[in-house]
Amino acid sequence: MARDTQPVNRLPSQEKLLLDYIHRLEQHRDGRKLVHLHLSALRPFNRREHHIRAAAEDFESFVESLDGQLFVLKNADIFFFYKEEIAPHVETVVQQIRYLFSDDPLVLEEDESEIKFSDWYDIETHYDVILNLVQDLINASNDKSRSFNNQMDTRSALKAKQEKGEPLTPEVLGRVENALTRTDLSNMVRRQYICSLTRRRVPEPAFSELFISIADLRETLLPGVNLMANRWLFQHLTETLDRRMLSMLSKTDTLTISGDISFNLNVGTLLSQEFQSFDDNITANRRGGMIIELQKVDIFANLGAYLFAREFIQAKGYRVCIDGLSYQAMAVIDRERLGADFVKLVWHPEMMDGGEEIHTHIRNMIRYTGEDRVILCRVDSREAIDFGQSVGITLFQGRHIEHLIAEDNRRRELLRLKRRMERSNEAP
Amino acid sequence: MADAANFTTVPNLSGTSEETLLVGHLRRIQDHPVGQFSIHVHLSELRPDNSQQNFIRIAARAFEPLLANFDATLYVLSNHDLVLLCRDVPVDDVDQAVYKVRALFSEDPLTFGDEGSFEDRFTTWYDLTQKADFRAFMAEAIKLEEEANKRQKLDSEDSAPAASYSMAGKPLDPRNLAAINQRMMEVNISDLLRQQMAITIREDGKGSALFREHYVSMQDLQRRLAPNVNLFGNSWLFQYLTETIDRRMLTVVAHFDFESMPDSISLNLNISTVLSREFQTFHRSIGHNARKIVVELQLIDVFADLGMYAFARDQLRENGYRVLIDGLNPISFQFFNPGLLDADLIKLGWSKEFLGEVPKSRLDDMRVQVNLAGKNKMVLSRVDSEGAILWGLQLGIHRFQGHYADIIVEKMIAKGII
Repeated sequence: MARDTQPVNRLPSQEKLLLDYIHRLEQHRDGRKLVHLHLSALRPFNRREHHIRAAAEDFESFVESLDGQLFVLKNADIFFFYKEEIAPHVETVVQQIRYLFSDDPLVLEEDESEIKFSDWYDIETHYDVILNLVQDLINASNDKSRSFNNQMDTRSALKAKQEKGEPLTPEVLGRVENALTRTDLSNMVRRQYICSLTRRRVPEPAFSELFISIADLRETLLPGVNLMANRWLFQHLTETLDRRMLSMLSKTDTLTISGDISFNLNVGTLLSQEFQSFDDNITANRRGGMIIELQKVDIFANLGAYLFAREFIQAKGYRVCIDGLSYQAMAVIDRERLGADFVKLVWHPEMMDGGEEIHTHIRNMIRYTGEDRVILCRVDSREAIDFGQSVGITLFQGRHIEHLIAEDNRRRELLRLKRRMERSNEAP
Repeated sequence: MADAANFTTVPNLSGTSEETLLVGHLRRIQDHPVGQFSIHVHLSELRPDNSQQNFIRIAARAFEPLLANFDATLYVLSNHDLVLLCRDVPVDDVDQAVYKVRALFSEDPLTFGDEGSFEDRFTTWYDLTQKADFRAFMAEAIKLEEEANKRQKLDSEDSAPAASYSMAGKPLDPRNLAAINQRMMEVNISDLLRQQMAITIREDGKGSALFREHYVSMQDLQRRLAPNVNLFGNSWLFQYLTETIDRRMLTVVAHFDFESMPDSISLNLNISTVLSREFQTFHRSIGHNARKIVVELQLIDVFADLGMYAFARDQLRENGYRVLIDGLNPISFQFFNPGLLDADLIKLGWSKEFLGEVPKSRLDDMRVQVNLAGKNKMVLSRVDSEGAILWGLQLGIHRFQGHYADIIVEKMIAKGII
């Protein structure tokens, strides 16, 4: 299987080999065909490592007899190139694989869907289409591992600069922090809901996170500067943002707050005079409705201070959430001992693509931490929810959840309209 | 009146110290101590990183309900101890407040003794109606007052107060960082490089060199670049500065004569540096000597992005380097599974609290962690005594670094067994 273990290769090996192969094919187009199986579109429970392996094995005999070439991509898609002569055999094999997944919506709903189970190509006539398709797939796969390799190459650095702006420098940081004390940030505060889901996927809010939109901040204060380019300078900036957030939260007329809320703070802020005055000014019962989110890097920068601060605010009634854990970080850190009320696990497709072993591992971690204490965040697709539920997660946050909330609101609105119309029809 | 809220203003500005006020208070009640008792909370004995001013300020506020509702006075002493003087206050209410403070420091060895037990070093209670107790406490208060006066005198003579990590000056801020960073790129740092050996002590008592750590002396760097700025004063901005230091150090180390160097060396680098173009250039110039280099990565940097760490680690290994995780202390060491970081070496900073009256369960925890990390990967650093080495050996650690290891190195060299 294409499990890439050689990080120095920028491209995952199977993807790279596939691209090389296609380039070589340019000179030998005639009499060759390609079938592309969209296994990446299968539901997660159908896309486990052994499923994909089973599907790939069906092509092995052709590969051995040198009648075809097989590529299994990281996202589980299969590309099989073959000689025209064996076309009927290949069609049979694909039928067999399709049968394996006959209970999956990819097959069940194929007629209504844009994504088909398989696409068939003639290399001779479709060469450019295939080349584009593969290049797109590879770019997408590179984007996923973007954070791993954009550091060292100038091209990506340039690209990041064009897209996100000049990196933040200490001078600029000083100016921004100065400007921040004078800028009204209340219109940059965003809210995202942390929800449980009913069986019919109707989101039910548990609490909402308030945060200052960094994109808006950048647009307003410093268009053209990438505030997040340097982790440490950004971390320093968040301390200033903390103070602004606290002062906004103290003035109830600046932000309308309903229900339980969470917001990010630094450990240092919790120990500051500003937090003390914030705490002095809010009523005891509001503390119970506030969840304070802390970053793991901040926690481990000074663990002693974290333990002290956590004890301090929990004793006052606030709850604590550890934000931004990747599943790898979740495995490494002793969450129990850190004593937080919630942890946020960051969704990444890698978790799903990682195979059965990783799924079991994640499921165990969730069970150990407590299903009602883990929030899957940055949920941007239905896939993420599917995966989350399959490993026992009950709380979700992210763009896709916001989308579900909006959808649910629309549904309710329509229902209300419908009822009103029915009533007016019934009226004599 | 000693009000906790006033504590943020620097004590002693008014001229009368909290200690003097306390002694005065005791004198006033000396003849009629009916219903009076006092509790001395020994926060001065906390580990240094817990004994920070803002921690003490927060701890002192736990007594506010008592001060508001009862006849009680709190003194926040200049050594960070708290003294509560009470008249007819229900002990249960005092307990509650003391318990809150105790909980705040639950990871500090000071609170490890069972509350109220003989080993409890956290608080001392005095029943001031008892003559013996009164005398003892009065003597204690007078001693504290004398110490405070001495400290104050020292402070005013030596205008440099003990700042964080004992570096004087105002903390780094974005503005002075910009200037320092700029100068950092221009100034010569090759003469600021220091080294310290890490050694392996084998079963037969003989030793061998593990590596020589090369590092930039921050004190000297400060003197050269910014005598008035405490480089450690802000941890995020300091971290930023180290990225520049890394680059400068790489250019110096690239010119080392690796061929004639008998031992391996270690270098402290940021993960972002390892993934930078400068490091690629460095690697090209040292070539196969990578196997003589151990790269030390800081735990905070590792935790900032574990994915990035894993990538950097694999890349370093593939190119022949060894990877060491630095920056673990006795607390952080117990909060994650160090083995999962899959590094070649893990450095744990020794601290005296390992030796103190640490309950057995904590020592067992430590043993479990050492085993998880892999005994053969552990380097005990900052060892300053024979006790430190013995402690390490007892847990199966046999790699050491620190002042005391330096002494051993010298002896071994003299005897020719290294």
